[in-house]
Amino acid sequence: MISDFEYFAPKTVAKALSLLARYKEKAKIIAGGQSILVIMKQGLLKPQYLIDIKGLAALEYIKYDEKKGLRIGALTIHRAVEKSPLVQKYFGVLSEMERNLATIQTRNWGTLGGNLCHGDPAGDVAPVLIALGAKLKLASAKKERTIEAEEFSKDYLEVALRPDEMLTEILVPNPPPRTGVAHDKLMVMKGDMGIVGAAVSITLSDGVCQDARIALSNCAPIPLRAKEAEKVLIGKKISDALLAEAGEAASTEVSPVDDVHGSAEYKKEMAKVFVRRVGARALERATGGRA
Amino acid sequence: MKGEMMELKLTVNGKPYELMVKPKTLLVDVLRNELKLTGTKTGCRTSSCGACTVNIDGRAVRSCSVLALQANGHDVVSIEGVASGGKLHPIQQAMVDHGAIECGFCTPGMVMSARALLNENPKPTREEVREAIQGNLCADEGYVKYIEAIEIAAEEMRGGK
Amino acid sequence: MGETFGNYSVIGKTIPRVDARAKVTGEAKYAADIELPDMLWGQIKRSPYPHARILNIDTSKAEKLPGVKAVTTGKDFGGFKWGWSRETRDEEPFAVGKVRYLYEGVAAVAAVDEDTAEEACDLIEVEYEPLPGVFDPFEAMKEGAPLVHEDRPGNICVEYHWNFGDVEKAFAESYLVREDTFQTPRMAKGYLEPPAVVAHWPDPNHVVFQGAKGSPYFPYRILARLFNLPLSNVRIIQPFIGSDFGGTKNDMVHCDYAAVMLAKKTGRPVKLQYTEFDELTTCLRRHPMWITIKTGVTKDGMLKATYVKAIADGGAYTRMSPLTMFLTGTCMTLPYKLPNFKYDGMNYFTNNPSSAAMRGHGLYHSRFAADVQLDMMAEELGIDPVEMRLKNAIENPEPGKVYETVNGVHVASCGIKECIEKVAGAVNWKGVKEAKRVEGDKAYAVGIAAATYNSGTKLSAHNACAAIVRICEDGSVNYLTGASDVGQGSDTVTCAIAAEVLGIGLEDIDLKRVDSAFTPVDPGSYGSRVTVLAGQAAINAATDAKRQLLEVAAKQFGVKPEEVEIKNKQVFVKSNPEKNMSWERLVRTACYETPGKVIIGRGYSTQGISLLGLADFSRGFGDIGTNYSFTAQAVGVEVDTETGLVKCTDESVIAHDCGFPLNPPAVETQCQGGSYHQGIAAALYEEFKMDKGLTLNANLADYKRPRAYEAPMTRVEHVITNDPYGPFGAKEASEGSCCSAPPALVSAIYNATGVWIKDLPTQPEKVFRALKAKKEGKKSL
Repeated sequence: MISDFEYFAPKTVAKALSLLARYKEKAKIIAGGQSILVIMKQGLLKPQYLIDIKGLAALEYIKYDEKKGLRIGALTIHRAVEKSPLVQKYFGVLSEMERNLATIQTRNWGTLGGNLCHGDPAGDVAPVLIALGAKLKLASAKKERTIEAEEFSKDYLEVALRPDEMLTEILVPNPPPRTGVAHDKLMVMKGDMGIVGAAVSITLSDGVCQDARIALSNCAPIPLRAKEAEKVLIGKKISDALLAEAGEAASTEVSPVDDVHGSAEYKKEMAKVFVRRVGARALERATGGRA
Repeated sequence: MKGEMMELKLTVNGKPYELMVKPKTLLVDVLRNELKLTGTKTGCRTSSCGACTVNIDGRAVRSCSVLALQANGHDVVSIEGVASGGKLHPIQQAMVDHGAIECGFCTPGMVMSARALLNENPKPTREEVREAIQGNLCADEGYVKYIEAIEIAAEEMRGGK
Repeated sequence: MGETFGNYSVIGKTIPRVDARAKVTGEAKYAADIELPDMLWGQIKRSPYPHARILNIDTSKAEKLPGVKAVTTGKDFGGFKWGWSRETRDEEPFAVGKVRYLYEGVAAVAAVDEDTAEEACDLIEVEYEPLPGVFDPFEAMKEGAPLVHEDRPGNICVEYHWNFGDVEKAFAESYLVREDTFQTPRMAKGYLEPPAVVAHWPDPNHVVFQGAKGSPYFPYRILARLFNLPLSNVRIIQPFIGSDFGGTKNDMVHCDYAAVMLAKKTGRPVKLQYTEFDELTTCLRRHPMWITIKTGVTKDGMLKATYVKAIADGGAYTRMSPLTMFLTGTCMTLPYKLPNFKYDGMNYFTNNPSSAAMRGHGLYHSRFAADVQLDMMAEELGIDPVEMRLKNAIENPEPGKVYETVNGVHVASCGIKECIEKVAGAVNWKGVKEAKRVEGDKAYAVGIAAATYNSGTKLSAHNACAAIVRICEDGSVNYLTGASDVGQGSDTVTCAIAAEVLGIGLEDIDLKRVDSAFTPVDPGSYGSRVTVLAGQAAINAATDAKRQLLEVAAKQFGVKPEEVEIKNKQVFVKSNPEKNMSWERLVRTACYETPGKVIIGRGYSTQGISLLGLADFSRGFGDIGTNYSFTAQAVGVEVDTETGLVKCTDESVIAHDCGFPLNPPAVETQCQGGSYHQGIAAALYEEFKMDKGLTLNANLADYKRPRAYEAPMTRVEHVITNDPYGPFGAKEASEGSCCSAPPALVSAIYNATGVWIKDLPTQPEKVFRALKAKKEGKKSL
């Protein structure tokens, strides 16, 4: 059963932030609630104050700018990102990832911000943002700061939000030319949490890999950047064999745990497979020039 | 104050309602317990089965996973609001005619997911139909007749037959 | 859709379900939808130990909590014990002396709202003395193992040892003998509607029980015995039911006892509804079984002998395990000819939640093992698996003749050969090699299997099955049934049968759902009995009503009653149809002519009781079913050879012999569902993972149930055999598809990849490891 709490539904971002400044650790933010309500129902989370920001329409937007790239308001629902023509055209990998995220019902109410702030290493949004080199805007009543998406997750269900801070925006820079980004995960059924998941970005220059970013889900307490795997690819001409080598490297960097869906050993093997497969798709897109 | 009742104003099946609810109340419980609209079912309450699916502003959402107060100012349609004046919606009629309904517990949720799909996408592919009801568990029917019924309804609604 | 069979007015073609409209509009009320004035909410206090002595229960703090109206513990039930049969009464409404599985109920509370009830449960203080437990049959059977029930040595719940013919001699004479061990998983029933109940006492001598029960008969008799009430004072009213599948909703669980006792104590209605967690941790499951099967065949693939050893985990209480173990063995002699058969079936008590019936009860385990092993042997012999099945298949007996197995099972109709041929034809089966193709890292193949299921189950003391047809003066008809429609469409089909017999339309019949105050008794929906037995009751009741009307008509026409017919609501003399009147006119005449009749037709089923006697469980001899359905199935799979992930393709066909499809689309839907939800799901996804009595995956994200995106668009073809013992030739429909899907899937995986997976489910990591082992040249399992 959910425990009682004191409820606020601020109408402006400023009001929300002033509530956070006032109640800090005693307060919890609820956006779409698709993650947080589950743990509140289990009695694992009993906040004294609940700040409902779902109604802050000011934070629901998808904007694209040729210079700055993509800016997504933290309260944008998954379904909007999935269906946005802008996203599909310029950052197709986000749409690709969203199509496999839970079910349509969840995507119709849950938000990107809520998903990110929940900090589940099995989540799909974070690794894709990391592969895209995205940044996150965090605001408090006093100031704003921007951090790298890959710096956001600290530990299992723990993110780098100060008690008086709120995520307000996701900024995705325009990828350099000849960049391909892809995402996939091992799902038993469509929409399942991935037993493992991989987001890979490859940038080519004269057929050689200039940059690679590989982020894995459900392979560690946080979405993991497989830097050793990236090193295998950077500076070389990518072949199937090289991708396989990158997969091997990734499997040494991960620290998955046993659970009912698979053993740690199996997940390591799957990390190899998915780095290879998703890398191949990213490479194909880089050659074709789309993200 | 903790648990203090708060005002909820929403439209359900075209009717405006004003209620006082405890903040932790879920939308599904407002529908079933306060408004006595028991057509929306609870199968799991953990956002897995979809039996509680309603349409909020035309979109399919699980009402067990929405705080009632978040529906403030929104337009909710539950299964009771789908047929109009005693005439079944084409989706409902197709499910009845095609033999898609067995125990019926998942049926309201299926109708709501299908309704949201066809409102947004009048000519869905089979894959899109499957995706639309992926969040609706059934235990009886194997999904085959539901998928076919939704396709039949889509064609009917487009004027073809 | 729209296929017609036979030459009937109502049956044999698409029959619109009588309750479809109520369900599709949300008007249909299920147990949790019921609200009564002054109603209270109940909650159950559960044990945190899988095995412990209860030393003391202190409910004083809970009782003092404002809003709490009553508390009950096991002691309130005065030592009452119940069970599926008189001999197996080993369970109490709430645990008294000790708890035997984790979360077993020890007390319950009724309060003004759910929150208060839950809070009150937390205030109940229980002192336990934890005891060591046993958590699988192998621990349970060990010398000196802790006993789940002190009076049951060796933790043996039930065991059967049957012997027909001479298996050892037959093995010695066999060209090929194989022994393999298979394993089937611990499974949830999977119904979407959690158990729920509302109970109240209109006065201290009458109780009303409205629960999600597929078998009202159980609470009817149990509550009468518990409270020392005459049966006539126990009123069971069926709401709509969100599926059953055997066990839990077919039998009593804690919430049922809690509701009734708390309602009695408070004098107010009490409602309880289980959560997903309650359901997945405590409700009855399919037995996990370890099946060791040894079979001998001739060089050209004819079966000579089979020896099956089945070890089952029955959980904490007996429930219906005696029936489970009987069923697991009895149909080994179907659908193929088997001259020698030996069976050792042992079911053990463990400190796990109880196991009970589930769609495909019993046969699911052993038919899985037998059919997969058949493919293994076909491969070793170099014989096509479809050919091998056809060779061994029981032939459809000539009309008037009956095929008898060595263990006394009588089959009057058997369409298995035609089923297999139809399925093979539908998927263009040219042989195992042609069934396979590889595309990159995906391998595709089809597997074919055959199964059977007993229909119209006959058990002692549970067979009475009746119907009443009440003709109203304007010609409209009430049909009163004791049979419970849990979604399988029995309401529709029994009304349709009545309409067919009477010569009127389905729309003229108004169904009166089960209410034990008014409807006749019926044991309920289990054992695939409803169509066959309630169907027969429908025929008899309608015939009785018709007979009374024909007498009146005969008098009007001046002929003998047997010369009159009613068809399409026209009453006419067969040899002279010009002499006719409308149905309405006949009924009015009957009712209004002095002295006026009241036309009530009564009928009950005799099939369940009189046909060839009851089965002998201890010897394993005799018929459990009135007749037997047969199913063949082809399942197509896509195996991702790198990850081990298995998906079904749309290459999925079932050919089903249900005797005669009374409502063809309903049979199709039932088969599509049975094969996917209870068959494929078990083969691909479902398994409770346990750790010393604790269910590790007690939520629907971690315990995966099959969904729409992955559902194969299974086609169903009908095979007609017109069984002489079924209403209009009908037998059970679809339970066989729960049994045919798993072996077909496992065979398909083998055909695609060369690996046999013998323990279900075929989860990705399992398949991955098997593929890896094969690659590394390790010996196949």
